[in-house]
Amino acid sequence: MTEPNQENIARRQLLIRGVKAAASIAAAVGVARWLYDPKGPGAKEDETGFSGTFAKGLPDFSVPRKDGHIISIIQGADRTKTVSKAIELLGGIERFIKPGDVVIIKPNAGFATPALLGATTHPDVIGAIVKLCYAAKAKKVIITDNSINDPASCFTISGIAEAATTAGAEVVMPKDSYFGPVTLEGGSLIKDWPVYCAPFAKASKLIGIAPLKNHHRSAASMTMKNWYGLLGGRRNVFHQDINNIIAELAMLVKPTLVILDGTTTMMTNGPTGGSVSDLKKTNTMIASCDMVAADAFGSTLLNLKPADLPYLSIAEKAGVGTADYESLKPLRAEVT
Amino acid sequence: MLVFGAIPIKAGYGKIMHLISGRARTLESAVGVLILLIMVATAIGVYVISRDYNMARFGIASHQESQGDFTPVGKAETYNNDNLYEKIDGKAPMYQEAGFVKLDTQRFAAKSNSELSFELYTYDMNNAKNAFSVYSRQKRADVTDLSDLGASAFGYVAGNAICLSLGRNYIEMIGSAESNELVDVMKGMAKDMSAKFEPRDKDKIAASTSSLQAELGYFPEGTVAGTWKLQIDNAFGFDGLTDTYSATYKIGDKAVSIFLSKRKDADEAKTVAKNYYDFLITNGAKAVAVDSEILKSAGASVVDFYGAFEIVFPAGVFVGGVHEANDKQAAEKAAEVLIGRLKEVND
Repeated sequence: MTEPNQENIARRQLLIRGVKAAASIAAAVGVARWLYDPKGPGAKEDETGFSGTFAKGLPDFSVPRKDGHIISIIQGADRTKTVSKAIELLGGIERFIKPGDVVIIKPNAGFATPALLGATTHPDVIGAIVKLCYAAKAKKVIITDNSINDPASCFTISGIAEAATTAGAEVVMPKDSYFGPVTLEGGSLIKDWPVYCAPFAKASKLIGIAPLKNHHRSAASMTMKNWYGLLGGRRNVFHQDINNIIAELAMLVKPTLVILDGTTTMMTNGPTGGSVSDLKKTNTMIASCDMVAADAFGSTLLNLKPADLPYLSIAEKAGVGTADYESLKPLRAEVT
Repeated sequence: MLVFGAIPIKAGYGKIMHLISGRARTLESAVGVLILLIMVATAIGVYVISRDYNMARFGIASHQESQGDFTPVGKAETYNNDNLYEKIDGKAPMYQEAGFVKLDTQRFAAKSNSELSFELYTYDMNNAKNAFSVYSRQKRADVTDLSDLGASAFGYVAGNAICLSLGRNYIEMIGSAESNELVDVMKGMAKDMSAKFEPRDKDKIAASTSSLQAELGYFPEGTVAGTWKLQIDNAFGFDGLTDTYSATYKIGDKAVSIFLSKRKDADEAKTVAKNYYDFLITNGAKAVAVDSEILKSAGASVVDFYGAFEIVFPAGVFVGGVHEANDKQAAEKAAEVLIGRLKEVND
């Protein structure tokens, strides 16, 4: 007589407990949903005024295309003169920088090594570009890079900090709060990946300046590879798919202008080098609105062909630019 | 039976336990004293050894002291497999593929001239062969040989830098300028580092250096000295080619890259040679006719790999060949010389 009754009670209790458990789970899911921020922590505004996230990518900093004035190649050993001439041939700095612009300059400041070694952007080019920007009445020029290994040492030892501040620019060191999750539409690697973006929020122009280097993994490190410095997190995972990540970065970043400094080219043991024996005087400065074209030409200074760099063709197919730099009719000059 | 026998046994048990407990106390005391003595001896031993602690016994002392006018600046840093990329970024995979264990770095600057500084990089590569691999693969052209360090080492000066393969360590000293003063200081540090090894470790390093030199001796006369490169793994993109040495061989004014890899036995050498040939064909190489009778009789294969010639052959326990030659005739000639040399080594 009692057994069926106990069974009934147990069944009832089971049902009640089941309903309570389901309600608890539903409540937890509801709270989680309420707390969920699809944009992630992102970049927070701080005392510098940097803020904003770019879940759909970075802003487009490019200027209108002007056929016949896309790439310039200047021969000469004096970086200040060659880079100035390179920009002059493209239409002058006024084509790129308007009064009131806030300009971000992204150098390669990835290593705490002296300028002599050519692993980082040369301070002379930084100084020249900052001065040009101010001559065009830029409101502010910011130099920044995500140098993961002790940024202060990288900026100081490379000479970039001194050149920038002497010319009146502000050097911004990376902070964790300056990174936000970014997804490249159509990309396979940059998906909710932390990207250094906060300093770009209030900028109106972006100039990338890269040294020309051999690279152990990608064969060459030039203007497209320079954007690798915007990646946060454990970005070394991308070394396993280096060609695609370089191409995706080139799709993500739309700069105003890129400068490729081939005055001294690191021919071997890149990207760090270490000895002046790794360097060769190639006395060439390239300014370009087309990163693919700039890097395609740069490959020739490394005794490579554009076809030797798979990321160029990937980026070309994605519409970033053309590896057939001669088709753009480069503007050439020599300065002494 | 047990119940009946329990009384006498119980009485005897008490006496025995009394005796035992007396002896046990004495024994416990003795053991206690012994343990205390061992602990005191251990403490004295630790104290004595720590007063004369020589890191070189465990490899190179990771963080050097001042060198003349140059003193350490900033803190010493250590990197492992997880964070090596933070220091050397895209070059990290090369070290990791060659057995990297850790990297110690320290920057030094001159007290009298702040413009002069250098950074010491000490890579622990786990063994001498791995260290030689990363040393040889990065070796610069036009260098000054660095010998007589007090311990067997491969080393050179290249402008502002000194590079050494010393035992299980690959060492770089990167100067901030091309300066004789700086190079002399770095050389002094290299000598000091070598001198700090204990005799038995110097012997060990000398043995590993001799072993490497013996393997380099497999190359034929006429090989350009100092052009050797050792690829521990995945030579020329083929994962079956391990422990592969390559070097430049001159045929007249033409430079040809020749390579060799010693295998476990002749059968393995034949298998690796065939697999490498298959790998080349799979990746687009086209087989071409072999002109040399010596190469034909050695079972060598010649392929055209997108305009460059590759030759591979088994030679006893070795796999040998030519890599990325522009000139087929020069490539075959170099291969003939290598076949002759490896025959001598096999004999």
